[in-house]
Amino acid sequence: MSAIRSCLIVALVFALGSLARNTLPASQDPQRRPGTQSAAPPIVGDPDKGRDLFQANCSGCHGIDAGGGDGPDIQQAPASLGDATVANIIRRGVPDTPMVGFFSIGDAGAADIVAYIRKLGSTMSSETTKGDPRKGEEIYNSSGCPACHMIAGQGGEIGPELTSIGAKRGPSNLHQRLIDPGVNLPKEGNVGDRGKWTLYLLYRAVTNDGHVTEGIRMGEDSFSIVLKDVNGNFHALYKPNLRSLEKEPLKSLMPSFKDTLSSAEMDDLVAYLVSLKGATP
Amino acid sequence: MKASKYVLTFLIAFLTIHARSFAQNVPYVRLLHADGEPQNWLMYGGNFQSQRFSRLKQINRENVHTLRPVWIYQPPKPGMDEASPVVVDGIMYITETPSTVTALDARYGTRIWSWSPVLPEHVYTIGLHPTNRGVAILDSTVYVGTIDAHLVALDAKTGAVKWSVLVADNKRNYAIASAPRVINGKVIIGIGGGEAGVKGFLDAYDAKTGARLWRLWTIPNPGEPGSETWGPDMTGTGGATTWVTGSYDPDLNLLYWGTGNPAPDWNGKGRPGDNLYSCSLLAIDPDVGKMKWYFQYTPHDTHDWDSSQVPVLFDDNVNGKPRKLVAMANRNGFYYVLDRVTGEFLAGMPYVKQTWAKGLDAKGHPIMLENTEPSAAGQLIYPSVMGGTDWSSPSYSPETKLFYVTAHEMGAYFKEGQPKLDFSGPPNFGGGGQSALSGDDAYGAIRALDSLTGKLKWEYRLVAPAWVSTFSTAGGLVFSGSDEGNFFALDASTGKLLWQFRIDGANVRTNPITYAVDGKQYVIGIAGNDFVGFALP
Repeated sequence: MSAIRSCLIVALVFALGSLARNTLPASQDPQRRPGTQSAAPPIVGDPDKGRDLFQANCSGCHGIDAGGGDGPDIQQAPASLGDATVANIIRRGVPDTPMVGFFSIGDAGAADIVAYIRKLGSTMSSETTKGDPRKGEEIYNSSGCPACHMIAGQGGEIGPELTSIGAKRGPSNLHQRLIDPGVNLPKEGNVGDRGKWTLYLLYRAVTNDGHVTEGIRMGEDSFSIVLKDVNGNFHALYKPNLRSLEKEPLKSLMPSFKDTLSSAEMDDLVAYLVSLKGATP
Repeated sequence: MKASKYVLTFLIAFLTIHARSFAQNVPYVRLLHADGEPQNWLMYGGNFQSQRFSRLKQINRENVHTLRPVWIYQPPKPGMDEASPVVVDGIMYITETPSTVTALDARYGTRIWSWSPVLPEHVYTIGLHPTNRGVAILDSTVYVGTIDAHLVALDAKTGAVKWSVLVADNKRNYAIASAPRVINGKVIIGIGGGEAGVKGFLDAYDAKTGARLWRLWTIPNPGEPGSETWGPDMTGTGGATTWVTGSYDPDLNLLYWGTGNPAPDWNGKGRPGDNLYSCSLLAIDPDVGKMKWYFQYTPHDTHDWDSSQVPVLFDDNVNGKPRKLVAMANRNGFYYVLDRVTGEFLAGMPYVKQTWAKGLDAKGHPIMLENTEPSAAGQLIYPSVMGGTDWSSPSYSPETKLFYVTAHEMGAYFKEGQPKLDFSGPPNFGGGGQSALSGDDAYGAIRALDSLTGKLKWEYRLVAPAWVSTFSTAGGLVFSGSDEGNFFALDASTGKLLWQFRIDGANVRTNPITYAVDGKQYVIGIAGNDFVGFALP
């Protein structure tokens, strides 16, 4: 078992622990350990039914192969945590994370999804072993990444902070972002009714007097928007004073590394990013 | 006729002056002529017609840009407030979450009294927000429904309890969040709990004693007329609650009340048929509590599209003939105009994107499209569970003849599941759920519709679908709010933005109103649980 996977499991167990403390009803013993939810025999799921449910409900964050996307790689979660624990997470979610509960899927539906993830985990080889994270770290530093990104307090503040990016994104997702940074931008967690907003979305604003500002959206309401430009400066704009305000959905302030890194270098860089599991608060 | 009008005006003026010196006395005649005293906001919806139109015009198109906050009242307990204030002769009655009534001085926001019910340790609020949308007033009594499903009469000057009655058993998931509707001698109160599959009803109580006068069930018992619309397994339960305050026509003596979704919400397999009287508008004779007619907007709903929107009453010419009308911008995405005497369908069209019906037939029934039912994997349908609009009130201006509504441009993946009441997790009798397209995949707008057709006249776009009511004024303004916490005024004729103010980071999710004290007009905007009074400098 790799160190990475151990970290994932520790994180999931921790998450489940807080789940048990926060959300289990009083009628259930809060001290009960994960995986021992019930004395009743576990429901045996059907992986074929689970595939449809997984693709409809889970793949958007965890990737079509459960190998990670905006959410973590969960291919080995059933093997490591036990089916009942994973089913419980599916139905109840993990508090204070973007992982919401899918209660309406039901016990049988959750078991089907778990069976499908287990099947994926047993047939897929992990992608994380491809590159060399130590080489990747050198590539990270020599390619200019720290100018915009921060890791453990060091680096720039224009792009997303990467201290724990490996716990949030899977390798194929990270690989894709290095090639096409503006495509499939991540969305923030579902905060109540207010929805999943696209992060790092680039806007181009033109004021009534013709001044142009391009930058990533940091905050927006119906009357104002705050953009952060390529130099990291904030621009607060009042919408009634704008001639135009357009989203630039496929563009990014980050360059593509498609032509500047070799395939092996790309793998090394991805391996380094995946290794960043940093302390999450 | 002329003489009687003069006498009436005199009477109202007399009563108003009389009421000011012996504060907080609102006889029924004042409610009947609420439009004649625009300095007050006497009831939910502003008048019996629920038009939310104010004849005040001190604040108007020319000067609204100078509007500024003059007081802020923040209830001691945090919560998402959804109240519509009532203002009577300088005193404002608000409700705070979940069921507290507070009287404030309407000029300074100073608290005069507060009353809170003693609630049980656990209150069941399945599928509804533990909040309260306001009070009703009659004579010297303030009426409120509580989250544990009691109806309480309070003394308007002190908050002392005059009587309290149990409307329904909260342990069976009945709860009240809506404001009562008071008519002559009666308090009408609706009920919530549709997501727990309760049997819906509407109640009337004697305003003086609290004795129950009638109960109108919104779902027939097995064997009764209408039961055939629920299939062979019908039990006489299944939602159709009455959780938003209805309207009243004193001349026709008819109450108009919307009903909620059938339950289980997203799985209709166990209830084949139209499921009467869910998702309908009921016209009710309040003397006896019997239905005079009904109009079902969404037969056999499987998308949680309650028809619990406010029915707005107005009169206008249709094809050259004067008609008494009732309009509703329905959660299902269509705007409807009915004859309110007979329930006859006159006009209807979508006011937001909708993908479940080809249109409406000559009788107003939806012409269904294929593959619009929730599925295990999720079926993308517009509008979302939150609907084209929801409980928040629209307004109707007799001056512009426009209908101002908060619109949600938002779809959702509707999912079918197995319905069961299960208290081991988030309770769910819904039989499914939704994943709504949100964030950048949805938006909101304040829309002005031609009140006779539903045709779009103008819109003001908002970043996110908003859950806030509108009101319009003789000053040529429409006020509303955003989901991001802004409160704003638009030109009622053109939709042009004239003023906006960010109240706080919480949603504006309530019913703003306007009133006047000592000749000064105020506007009240509410975000999160901040009540903010605005006035001109």
